[in-house]
Amino acid sequence: MSAGSPLLAARGAARTFGHTNALEPVELEVWDGEALALVGPNGAGKSTLLSLLAGALGPSAGRVERRKGARVGWAPQRPAQYGRLSARENLELFARLEGEHDPRGAAERLLAEFDLPDEAAPSANLSVGNRQRLNLAISLLGDPHVLLLDEPTASLDPDQRRRLWARVAGLRERGGAVVFATQNLEEIELFADRVAALREGRLVYEGAAGEYDRAHVETLSA
Amino acid sequence: MSRVLLLLKKDLLVLRRSPLLLGVLLAYPVAIAVLIGMVASYGSSKPRVALVDEDNLPATVALGGHRFDVERTIREVGKNVDLVRLSADEAERQLRDGRVVAVVTVPPGFISTLRGMVESPQLRLQLSTGTISSRVEQQVQALVYQLNRQLQRAFIASNLRYMTLLLHGGDGSFLGSPISVLGIENARRILATMPPSPKRAQLLDFLHDARLALGNTDDALRSTAHPIELVRVQADGRTWALSAEVQAYALGLTITFLALLLAAGSLAAERDENVVARLARGLVGLGQLVWAKVALAAAVALALGLAIAVAFGVVIQVGGITGGEPWRRLPLLVVGLVLAGGSVGALGALLGALAREARSASLVAVLVVMPIVFLGLIPAEIVPLAGWVSDLLPFSHAVDFFRSSLYDLSPWREVALQGLWLLVLGAVFGGLARLGARRLLA
Repeated sequence: MSAGSPLLAARGAARTFGHTNALEPVELEVWDGEALALVGPNGAGKSTLLSLLAGALGPSAGRVERRKGARVGWAPQRPAQYGRLSARENLELFARLEGEHDPRGAAERLLAEFDLPDEAAPSANLSVGNRQRLNLAISLLGDPHVLLLDEPTASLDPDQRRRLWARVAGLRERGGAVVFATQNLEEIELFADRVAALREGRLVYEGAAGEYDRAHVETLSA
Repeated sequence: MSRVLLLLKKDLLVLRRSPLLLGVLLAYPVAIAVLIGMVASYGSSKPRVALVDEDNLPATVALGGHRFDVERTIREVGKNVDLVRLSADEAERQLRDGRVVAVVTVPPGFISTLRGMVESPQLRLQLSTGTISSRVEQQVQALVYQLNRQLQRAFIASNLRYMTLLLHGGDGSFLGSPISVLGIENARRILATMPPSPKRAQLLDFLHDARLALGNTDDALRSTAHPIELVRVQADGRTWALSAEVQAYALGLTITFLALLLAAGSLAAERDENVVARLARGLVGLGQLVWAKVALAAAVALALGLAIAVAFGVVIQVGGITGGEPWRRLPLLVVGLVLAGGSVGALGALLGALAREARSASLVAVLVVMPIVFLGLIPAEIVPLAGWVSDLLPFSHAVDFFRSSLYDLSPWREVALQGLWLLVLGAVFGGLARLGARRLLA
């Protein structure tokens, strides 16, 4: 992969739903090894921007560029998995769709890494925390270069949070990047290099995490 | 293609894990088929007809030396219509209210006019204004025809007795008065005893000819009374429940219901589970997602359709029904089941894409399936508009395909035509579903 271009970039990407502007045109780049935090109040457009970057939604205007060969993993805020399939079956199915060479092996590995129950029970019967863990595990299939995580730690216990950030750190060490939406200021301070703040669908701030003071966030979140 | 198969495999696994849903999906169309059968049988049920007896019909009537059992005749009529004896006023009231569909009135003097054998007595028929009234009129006409046949036999027998009297002479009665007739035979004998003369010879010649002519009157009278006689031959066929029509409709109805509901519900469920966005970001295209649902509908239609066809076949074979089940046509039926399931599935996928939520999609599919089926049941000759609309939907083409593939002697032209319809409709609905599937991402 060429490091001359960003792994992911939003070039004036905007999105409307009917007559509602969910996201005004946004310019944003994601580079190798960095961690970008998306912040803003509910309805600010964080999930829409992540969906555009993931390719789950098409932009109504502008475009999203992905470096050639860059693979993207996406964990939406609401878990996206088949409730009638078990955790293992979900992982195997998505591993096959992602083109994993050894779908069973990949499922086995992620079940262990995320401490997921290896039972025949449908995933709809899992606890909220386990469903979120499965959601995150699926996003790691296909060995992604960029992880897009929408409020990933909202339902995780402290141990699982720690495991998740350790995994993210490993990805960054290998040159990968992470973009995560969060309402948690501590996560910004600990894990983000840069911050992009959104409000009412507009990008109102983009800069280094260290320059992004708490007061600013509190104003945005008010 | 492999991604479509992966999703199809997943959907079949999900379906297998929902035994209650599967049971309901199987039981519901069967129940609907039974109900439609019951409604359809109303078309051949006995209409209620009032009999107003203003002549106080006796239990039996003697005519031309024959005794007619009036009660038995009424019971015979009761095989076709539910005949109820009512007063004239009550019959009039019930006809207005629609509780009877017709009133047959036996006017005063009916029997005496009949006995007179000089003029024809009349029965009066009043009909309600409804679609069923024409059928009742036909049945009453059939009754009068039957009565006339019985009376003809009596009248012919009576006329033949007069002929016999003219031939052989003797005592009899005419219009209730006793008569004594010399008869041709006796007249010849008397003439033979008279002295020969040209006039005697002329009279003997005439009596000879008259004797011959009257001797042939029997057959002539019978044949002129029935120039053409319809004799019903007992047929050795299938019962209606095992007919080609019922089998084709059972297959069509079940597949339409299942394929429509499954395709609509399963496509919308992808959005309910929030998976469609994950798939659409390059794992599975929206088009592939739609075709996976079409494939699911076709696969379920094939499995269920074959099960129904085999069940019919086993019943027919075990019961030794005439004609047997056309087992050799099953491969052709397989093609029809796949095409029909796919075509209906494409329509279901369109509904699922438009409804967006699994519950709404299932409800819409259930609401839509009945009009689709009933449109296919209405004969196009009666309501052309229904026929045209039905042509744009897969149900009637599926039924025609099944009927032809199983029972037509040379089904190829019909099967090709209906198969093409199903293919084109499937492609059109599938294309529209692909366009509509964008709504699942919103």
